[in-house]
Formats: sequence, structure tokens, C-alpha cells
Amino acid sequence: MEISAQNISFGYREAEYPLFEKISFRISGPGFYSLFGFSGCGKSTLARIIAGFLEPAAGSLSITGIKNILLSYNTERLPGWFSVGEHLAQVVSPRSSRGELDYFISEFGLSNYVHKKFFRLSMGQKNRANLIRYLVQDFDMLICDEVLANVDEPSRNHILAVIKENFGKDRVLFYISHNVEEVCLFSKKIFVVPASDVTRGRLVEIEGLDATKKHKEDHGNEKTLQTTILKVLKAASSAHKQEGES
Amino acid sequence: MRLFQFLMIFLIGLLILEGVKYGAGFSDYLIPPLNEITTMIFKKWRNFLMPSLNTLLVAIGGHFLAIVLAAIVAFTARSGSVLSNIVKTAAYNLQAYPVVAIAPLVFIFLGDGLTSRLLIATIICYFPLLLNFLGVFSEPVLDVEHFFKQTGRLDSIMEIKIRVFENLEKIVTVITGSATLAMVGTIVAEFLAATMGIGYVIRKALYQNNLAAILSCLLYIGLCSSLFLLGLEWLGKIIKKRLMA
Repeated sequence: MEISAQNISFGYREAEYPLFEKISFRISGPGFYSLFGFSGCGKSTLARIIAGFLEPAAGSLSITGIKNILLSYNTERLPGWFSVGEHLAQVVSPRSSRGELDYFISEFGLSNYVHKKFFRLSMGQKNRANLIRYLVQDFDMLICDEVLANVDEPSRNHILAVIKENFGKDRVLFYISHNVEEVCLFSKKIFVVPASDVTRGRLVEIEGLDATKKHKEDHGNEKTLQTTILKVLKAASSAHKQEGES
Repeated sequence: MRLFQFLMIFLIGLLILEGVKYGAGFSDYLIPPLNEITTMIFKKWRNFLMPSLNTLLVAIGGHFLAIVLAAIVAFTARSGSVLSNIVKTAAYNLQAYPVVAIAPLVFIFLGDGLTSRLLIATIICYFPLLLNFLGVFSEPVLDVEHFFKQTGRLDSIMEIKIRVFENLEKIVTVITGSATLAMVGTIVAEFLAATMGIGYVIRKALYQNNLAAILSCLLYIGLCSSLFLLGLEWLGKIIKKRLMA
């Protein structure tokens, strides 16, 4: 399983400047990866390029050993004419099972809400329901673009731990978030997009704590976590240095 | 409420007319007195109610046909193909044309029977429906469709289902609005050449300078239109309630 981006550039037609130029990064093997950067730096666009919804203007993106890439984002909605439970039951892929679906519903704290229509749920519940339906699909790589943006922090940590536990060993999870702590805690590797008008060069790669459910409450990690957070924030702010390097 | 509003407006209009009559000293021949109008409305109700109901039925039929036709055309044209672009362009251009002007041609080719009235009612309310359906059917609801598209579940039926559900309010509004146009189309057809319906009764009353009869016709048409719109609004509310429950 490998994704390798070499010098890819992209800009929207109506924009004055390209969003990013000649950026490179490499994802190798299954696991939980994160993309971190300040708003507007092109994280979602990069996710859409990886998922195949957008074509880079230049550069190459090679994907090996990954057939199904799914991209989920936080403003997605379920169809309104079904209850959440009916919809989820309908879209379970043959590879997943009803038991798996029930497990995620229970773990994500939605058991008491599946009889409701999607638009009757709170924002956080909507995020969770949307993520569940992706987890019961056939995928080799799941890109989660701020999918838990409206979920409270303890639930978010639990959900991420559950996802890692179930998919971290044989699938690629690519998580985009503004929450530096969860990114540092759960990721195997964090790709940091430096703040700049135009992102250039190789994305900064920082080793994460790659925590699991057990490690999550391990206070021994606290210092390492703080150090990683500082590294990520520094990398995200170091625009000039990054541009100079490229 | 709609019915009450109409009755209030009609009553106010009638009182203004009577005020003008007595204020300007117009003769009973020009503007009949209130008692003559009320007699016409209440004692000869059968002469107006039956043709009004006949007009209403034709309008409902024409409206239904227009909805079905617009839905089929919009469904076919939503794909973005060359044919769909031609249909869209034609629809946008044709809606600017006063289609009522072609009504005489319809009577020439199809005679003064039910078919002509039905067709004209359909033509008149068809274009607003088509434009609305075209907009709704061809505008993706990305936040809902994204998942289905990625997982290979977005077939034409699912696509339309999502788009219709997401735009239900807009669709109900345009269907209700176009119902009035269907009534207008039917009455215009009856004015022109038909031998049935309330438009035909108005035409006869016009030739006889019978203002009391014309006012009675207006009252009954208004009542029927209000009932038609009330029915559609009620239907829209039931559908929305069921889907949102």
C-alpha cells in the first residue's frame, strides 16, 4: 500500500495564485496518517486529488496496492426520507456485516438515535452517523476530511481509537483535522502543510504517537505528546523556512 | 384562510363598485344594484357553479398533464448531453413567448372541445413547471450525493429522489403557483372558442352586457381556484409531513 506524490501542483481556475506548487509526500503501508495545516492551505483539495475527484495540474501521483479510496467530509448528509438506522442498514457493503454496523452504532453512541431522521440529529450525531456508513463500505483507504468536526472531544478520541483498532492494521486512514492534539496522539505520521499563500515543496513529516485505545489514557505519554504538538505547530507556522527550502 | 381572503377581497371589490355606481350616478343598466348581484349569485348558483366546476376539472387535468410532461422532459434533459442542452435552451427561450397567442391555432386544428381546452391549460402552466424541474433535476445535491456516487449507488432514480426531496418546498410552491396558470389557461381557452366552462359563460354574459352574471362568474371561479390551491397546498403539506416524520 503506497501513495507517492511527486511535485504536484494545483490551482483553481478563478484563483489568482495556485493553491500549491510542486508538493511531495509519501504514504507507505497501512495505518493512521494525518494531514494538518491552517485553514485554506489546501488540505481538502489535496484530499480530493488523492481520492481522484480532482486532477493535479502538474506532477504525478502514484497509488499502488490501494483500489478503493473513499473520501468523507463533515458537511455530508444522509437522505432525509429514511431514518438513520434504515439508511445505514441499506448501505452496508457485502464485505461488512450487520453485526459490524451495530458495533459501530453502539461504540459511536448512536444506539438511541438510529430511529430518527438525519435532520433531527445534533451536528455531532450527524458527523458520527455519516462516518459509520463509510466504515461499513469496502475501502482500502478512507480519507476523513474533518469528519468529526462537531463531535465533543472525549467522544472523538474514543471514535478515533475504535477506528484505529478496527482498520489501522490493514487499511490506510488519512485524517484531516484542525485538532493538533488528536492528530499527534493517534497518527503514525503527520503531514504538516506550512502556512503560506502558496504551499511549496515537500510536506513536513512528523512522527505521531500512534496511540491506541489503551495508550489513550496513559499519562506517561503526556510529555511526548506535548513535544509532538509543539513540533507540529512550529512546522505549520514555518512558512518562510519551507518556501526557502524549496 | 385562502378562501376567507378571497371572499373578503371580492366583497371589498363589490362595495367599491357599488360606491362608484352611487357616487357617479351610473345607471342600473351599467352597474347593477347589490340586490340584483346577490340574487344572481345565490338564486342562479347552478348556472355558475356547474361551469366553474367544469373549468376546474379541465384545469386540474391540464395541470396534471403539464406536471407529468415537465417531469419527463426535465428528467431526459438533466444529463448534460447535447440533446439536453437543446431542450434547456428551447425551454428558456420558449417560456419568454406568450404561448396563449397560439391558442387560436389549437382551436383551428383540434376544434372547440375538451382536447383544445385541456391542451391550452397544459401549455400555459407547462413552462414554469419545466424550468423549475429542469433546475431541480440537474442541480446536484453534493453533500447527499457524494456518498452514493463514491460507492456506486447513484443511479438515475436515486439521483432524482435526492434532488426532489431536497427541493420539495420549491417544487410544491411552483406546482401551486402553476395551478393558477392552469385555471387561467382553461378560462382563456373558453373565452376564445370553447362552448363549455365558466369562460364561455362569461363570454355570453359579456355579449349581453350582463355585469351581474360576470361578477357571479368571478365569485365562483375564485372559489373554485381557491379550493384547487388549498387542495394542492394540503397535499404538499401531507407529503412533507410524511417524509419529515
